Amino acid sequence: MIGTIIAIGAGIAVLTGLGAGIGIGIATGKATEAVARQPEASGKITTLLLLGSALAEATAIYGFVVALMIIIMLK
Amino acid sequence: MEQLAEELQEQLDCATVFYIGPYGIKESIVVTWIIMAFIALVCFLMTRKLEPDPTKVSKRQLIVETAVDGLRNLVHGIVGEEAKEYGPYLMAVVLYLGISNIIGLVGFKPPTKDLNVTAGLALMSIILIQYAGIHKKGVKGWLHSFIEPVGIMLPFNLLELVIKPVSLCMRLFGNVLGAFVIMELIKAILPVGLPIPFSMYFDIFDGLIQAYVFIFLTGLYIKEAVE
Repeated sequence: MIGTIIAIGAGIAVLTGLGAGIGIGIATGKATEAVARQPEASGKITTLLLLGSALAEATAIYGFVVALMIIIMLK
Repeated sequence: MEQLAEELQEQLDCATVFYIGPYGIKESIVVTWIIMAFIALVCFLMTRKLEPDPTKVSKRQLIVETAVDGLRNLVHGIVGEEAKEYGPYLMAVVLYLGISNIIGLVGFKPPTKDLNVTAGLALMSIILIQYAGIHKKGVKGWLHSFIEPVGIMLPFNLLELVIKPVSLCMRLFGNVLGAFVIMELIKAILPVGLPIPFSMYFDIFDGLIQAYVFIFLTGLYIKEAVE
């Protein structure tokens, strides 16, 4: 019983991945638009996109760390 | 569930290898020593008999010059002209992080998978950021920067002192550990062939990106502090 509740809690914590997914999706879409408009700036845009994605991904990572802590601490 | 939890617990725990007096030496420290030895050896071997005359340089020297130039441009692009004296620290950190994030490929446990290592690096970063502020503006100007732009921002600026290192530390640790856990799960599904493309992304690409993000953010905060 307790194990089930812990699993549900960890699953809810990982829902933070939703935000990161939306964020990275928007960033990639805008980057594609920017490259289509100015193909010569694609190098700089790629760098910025990678950086932005890495930063947006951090929220998903926090959710993952919290889920991990829930599983390990409450086991 | 139980088995997974135990497996994760085992991976999170960093084994103590041996003791020096009362201090236990962890696995991550030993791997860090190996990385240090490797970097020192490469630096030693690559910088023998350097030639100042540009018409007579060897291939080896060209490689070193390209690498150093590339790193320097990378770091100076982040911190800008005003704070370029902090560049060498950032270059050292990105070299260490880059190697330690991909050292899992040769069978070592990445030191960045130990929370204590990333916490230490984040602490060093925040101390350097505050030092840069004090060095540039003096103690009075540094204290005044906490109530800029308006006095009501004081609690938020003080909170930032904690949030910045915590987020730096958790981002690096979580990314390396997350990549590791996903790779273990993929290996559990199908150990032949399937892990190769994922390993390219999770072990190599993600590790290098995270090393870059770490120094990028540190450099950005330093730039902010000296403005």
